[in-house]
Amino acid sequence: MQGRGWHIWVRRGLFALLAAFVLAGLFNAFGQRPSTAQASSPEADLKIYAPTRVRGGLLWEARFTISANQELKQATLVLGQGWLEGNTINTIEPSPVGEASRNGSLSMDLGHVPAGQRFELYMQFQTNPTNVGHRNADVQLQDGEKLLLSVHRTLTVFP
Amino acid sequence: MDVVIRAALMYFFLLFLTRVVGRRELSSLEPFDLILLIVLGDLIQQGVTQSDYSFTGLMLAAGTIAIMQTSVSWIGYRSPGKAGLVLEGEPIVIVQDGKCLEQNAKRERINPAEVLEAARKNGIGSLDEVEWGILEPSGEMTFIKRSG
Repeated sequence: MQGRGWHIWVRRGLFALLAAFVLAGLFNAFGQRPSTAQASSPEADLKIYAPTRVRGGLLWEARFTISANQELKQATLVLGQGWLEGNTINTIEPSPVGEASRNGSLSMDLGHVPAGQRFELYMQFQTNPTNVGHRNADVQLQDGEKLLLSVHRTLTVFP
Repeated sequence: MDVVIRAALMYFFLLFLTRVVGRRELSSLEPFDLILLIVLGDLIQQGVTQSDYSFTGLMLAAGTIAIMQTSVSWIGYRSPGKAGLVLEGEPIVIVQDGKCLEQNAKRERINPAEVLEAARKNGIGSLDEVEWGILEPSGEMTFIKRSG
């Protein structure tokens, strides 16, 4: 054992690395705890409650809360490509009145939201295990064609 | 985050389970035990990783189990008395001076025929040759022969 006294320190160092990795996981470095992002405009407020980091296979939810400060005749939520690329949408509740592609983004027509009312949209996702990477997941709120506000978000998928 | 918590909870539950089922079950690996082991492994996997198919999830779950196991082993090493008793149990004397201690054997659900079988596996023909027969925390039976 002479001359091998340092071996134990190598093992302890590697163990500390492992512990740091697990601790990082415990503190959400690799998902999937949801976080809140919000934006406001004179017409409406938008709050998004969803994870920004997920792992392949995970089931997760995104909740969009629209609070109308003024009447929204045709509230429209536009989701960037990162929300859809490699993610299966299991369900959207309540179902949008209509869906369309708007310059590559998913546009969902949510209908009429009276002033002072709140509209909550729930989307359930599952991440495809081969969908690894960091993507733009911006959200825009429009009233018809008029842009009211936008929230910049990203979605990171760990291998 | 939650995969780490689930893996840690699973570890504590398995520790509790192994302490509850007793060492008789731990020492044997009959065909039915093997099937139960596979079923248990599958159930554990479902509970810990759930729908997570990622390599990151695997590293977090396996890393958590490794840390838990090392920590428990370290606690047992540092405090062999109380912690060792809780985490690993203590040796139980089954045979003393050639006589099977029925009270202890009954507590571990071991019948005299099984004690004799364990003795034969250790190259001992009769319990008269045995001074101490001990059921170790691992579930294995060890024998100390009479001197002379």
